[in-house]
Amino acid sequence: MEVYGRSKDMAQASKMQRERKKRWKNASPVPDIEDPIKELSMGLHLKNFQLIITDILDATKTTKTYRLKLAPNFELKRLPLFRAGQYLSVKVNVDGVKVTRPYSISSAPSDILEDGFYELTIKIKDDGFLSTEFFEKWKTGNIVSVSGPHGNMYFDDLRDSNEIVGIAGGSGITPFRSIIREIVAQKLDLKLTVLYGSRHEDDIIFAEELSNLAGKLPDKIKVVNICSEPSENWSGPSGFINAELIKKYAGPIEGKTFFICGPQAMYEFLEKEIQNLNIPNRRIRRELYGQPDNITMNPKYPVEFKDKTFNIIVRIGNKIETIKASATESVLVSLERAGIGVDSQCRSGECGFCRSLLISGDIFVNNEIDGRRAGDKKFGFFHPCSSYLLSDLEIKIPSFKFVKFSPIK
Amino acid sequence: MSSTIHKSSSFDSSYDVVVIGAGLGGLGAALNLALSQKSVLLLEQHNLPGGFASSFVRGRFEFEISLHEMCAVGPPEGPLKGPIRYILHDESSVDVEFVPVPEAYHLILTGKEHKVNVKLPFGVENFIDTVCSAVPETPRESLVKYFDLCRECSEALTFVARSKGNIDYKILMAKYASFLTTSGYSAAEVTNKFGFPKKTLDLLYPYSCYMGLPASRLDFTIWASLLHLYITQGAYIPKGTSHQMCAAIDARIRELGGQTEYNNRVQSILVENNKVIGVETDDGEKIKTNYVITNCSPHLVYGKLISPANAVPEEAYKLNNSRRLGVSAFVVYMGLDASPKDLNLESYGYFISPHMDTEKINKSMLQCENMPDLTASICLNNAIPNCSPPGTTILSITTAFGIDIWKNITPETYFATKNKLARQMIEQVSKALDSPISEHIEEIEVATPQTFSRYTGSFKGGVYGYDLDPWDSLVIRSQVKNKEEFFKGLEFAGGFAAMGHGYNSSLLSGRQAARSVLWKMKKEGG
Ligand SMILES: Cc1cc2nc3c(=O)[nH]c(=O)nc-3n(C[C@H](O)[C@H](O)[C@H](O)COP(=O)(O)OP(=O)(O)OC[C@H]3O[C@@H](n4cnc5c(N)ncnc54)[C@H](O)[C@@H]3O)c2cc1C
Ligand code: FES
Repeated sequence: MEVYGRSKDMAQASKMQRERKKRWKNASPVPDIEDPIKELSMGLHLKNFQLIITDILDATKTTKTYRLKLAPNFELKRLPLFRAGQYLSVKVNVDGVKVTRPYSISSAPSDILEDGFYELTIKIKDDGFLSTEFFEKWKTGNIVSVSGPHGNMYFDDLRDSNEIVGIAGGSGITPFRSIIREIVAQKLDLKLTVLYGSRHEDDIIFAEELSNLAGKLPDKIKVVNICSEPSENWSGPSGFINAELIKKYAGPIEGKTFFICGPQAMYEFLEKEIQNLNIPNRRIRRELYGQPDNITMNPKYPVEFKDKTFNIIVRIGNKIETIKASATESVLVSLERAGIGVDSQCRSGECGFCRSLLISGDIFVNNEIDGRRAGDKKFGFFHPCSSYLLSDLEIKIPSFKFVKFSPIK
Repeated sequence: MSSTIHKSSSFDSSYDVVVIGAGLGGLGAALNLALSQKSVLLLEQHNLPGGFASSFVRGRFEFEISLHEMCAVGPPEGPLKGPIRYILHDESSVDVEFVPVPEAYHLILTGKEHKVNVKLPFGVENFIDTVCSAVPETPRESLVKYFDLCRECSEALTFVARSKGNIDYKILMAKYASFLTTSGYSAAEVTNKFGFPKKTLDLLYPYSCYMGLPASRLDFTIWASLLHLYITQGAYIPKGTSHQMCAAIDARIRELGGQTEYNNRVQSILVENNKVIGVETDDGEKIKTNYVITNCSPHLVYGKLISPANAVPEEAYKLNNSRRLGVSAFVVYMGLDASPKDLNLESYGYFISPHMDTEKINKSMLQCENMPDLTASICLNNAIPNCSPPGTTILSITTAFGIDIWKNITPETYFATKNKLARQMIEQVSKALDSPISEHIEEIEVATPQTFSRYTGSFKGGVYGYDLDPWDSLVIRSQVKNKEEFFKGLEFAGGFAAMGHGYNSSLLSGRQAARSVLWKMKKEGG
């Protein structure tokens, strides 16, 4: 090579071409298909896998804890690991209606390493479409389809203080049970105070277990049960969890991270209380609560639509189908009711998994969490799980064919 | 209740072309085919387009996943307007807007030997001025000549790319003599001829990190072209993240009559007598076509997708094995609750390292006990001020690892490993910029090779195609292309195709694959 002398022989280029040929000729003929990174990935989350119910523990009169292990014949070495606080998306088929539900894993990651299980703690809602099904029909030996673990409410030492204040309501205690078990297993080095609100004393989930665990590490774990409608015998704090109770039991706010998990009503109540405490945004992590029980309770919801029903023209690839839908149910629920379904995870508008195309029509987006990307808003995409009909719609949904559902018999 | 809907077909029984994967390569291909009025089906396994060119939302922030800066966009009008702008705007009327990146890069070297804190501007003259004033012993004339050589190589490369394997050597010799002279050498071999002091090289080489190879292995022509294009045309990013750009391309493909389908994984490419006859999706649906453009790597195509598998000739496996898989990435994404000013973040893009020895940097990417030496940080607000709410900042810190380096990480060690590395990277940047980053983290997400593998299915989590060594350079790839086609009707697009990785190359390669298919269809009288 002679850059300024400009020799033009391209000798080196020809040499490199020969070099390439030589490498080709001498290379191994065995296809290189081992992918350790994919294997690592499968040890951390999966799109669809099957579990078997090995035990059912009654937690309270309205909740049950299901212990789940890898279903036999499933080609996995071990359950995917997770970070305490994450959830599974459970996929069920109730008489042809395929739905998903997010449930926090109430067991700890260390339980997988030691005994190979997850636990889900499920509360029946009186009008819950699915939880009733779970309660009555999930039996030991049943197979359950899930995806995950997913979710963002976990302790991250890069972001969070290692002094955590948990605020839990009802079944919102589940991620905290996971965190507490992980602290006891010495896998998380945290100080955690949980303020746990229940209605009656006998609604308190894991009362005994959590008090025992806290007793093992009193410097690190504190669980304060607060009942909103206690009986006369109740000696603990009562009422709703408010700024005063938080200050009383959690001590100074400064330098602590708050994790909140509970029903929608609790978030609404806490919003004002938290403002009073002046906690910076970055110090608060909220778990999603799934679809709201009643969208008309959202002050921004245009109530004049509440009794309406509309049609949705649904396209999946070239296929077209028209379904009826009621205005106060999310588009996702309407699709599921019609037996169509879209795969979903968080059901709260955040994760984007149900992303679909709105071809025409108007929707109300539950604005609490609108996890849509800016580009999706611009080009007409929406999240059916957090969208409600304000007119007839034409939509295109992604196909939903790979997910296996566990039939409930 | 009807469940029948899942049984009939979502697809036509056949298409002119099926494109596998909606990364930039696949999008570029489908766009051009739709524009040419061919019936085209684009199948993507994920639920959105873009592959690596995407975004995700956490709390109040939308994070750009991979893009630092796009090459070959150039200003909206004038001689410097680049091919990407031409293809997306003029040729295809895609609704995308580009925003200029304010400076080439802000280089901070923290080592004892050569401490540097310089912002390098776009524009050859400005760039040279800045280098000469930061390192006065730089031989200015040589640097001017060096950039001239880079220009020639870049123009020659365009000429070679346009000639589709039938290169006119007479023109090449007459017009691009220095290109011929330097072709086949590495960046280091050619650059060293210019006798620049080491300190000058420190300022010159940062962009080479985007290629994932040390100067001694990186093909000079590619390096020259990259440097020339960035410094003359400037760099751009799409408004509203890469996802918005990809959503715009997707929308345009549909508008032009193309079909794009998400959550549809292609399980097999069906072949008969060394000819493509169709594809099969994950749930066993078969779709007829004579042409497949694949956005996934030859490693995946020959290793997993071709069916029957025994139709793959040994030569194909050997070819794959002879090439080197490029690096994978590691990124820390942060939404911070303070303004860029309060965080001392004045520039858009920073390269930070103790030194700029590309050999040493590359070696540091071959372990994951500790962070590699070099990080590239992007403060998105400094190009798009309103990309996050007032008083907040989006900052990402990126580094790279060799393709096999994460293979011994297990699920048990995964979270601790990634947080340890992320912490070191945040500390490096905080210290270099005197920025109180860790006091302001509202959202943080760390992507590792595992994350990239999870979302795009890329082989071993690689993000960078095949390494661009001098023996596997663009020129050589374009010369041997015809000899390396094992199946009639199969074309590659994207980072693993002949043009190499990067946003611009991936998009352009998609278009090139589409043109190649169109040409073949025409030849067959289709
Ligand atoms: C952290 C990071 C930073 C980067 N920074 C820059 C930068 O600043 N500038 C720049 O120019 N480049 C950058 N790059 C590189 C750039 O992102 C890539 O080179 C480019 O996006 C590759 O595009 P591709 O066409 O190869 O598609 P990919 O993004 O690889 O997409 C392939 C698509 O195919 C789909 N697919 C795979 N298999 C199947 C199947 N069987 N069936 C259906 N679908 C399938 C995948 O889901 C994916 O969507 C960066 C990359 C990373 C990761
Ligand atoms: S399921 Fe998460 S956004 Fe709809």
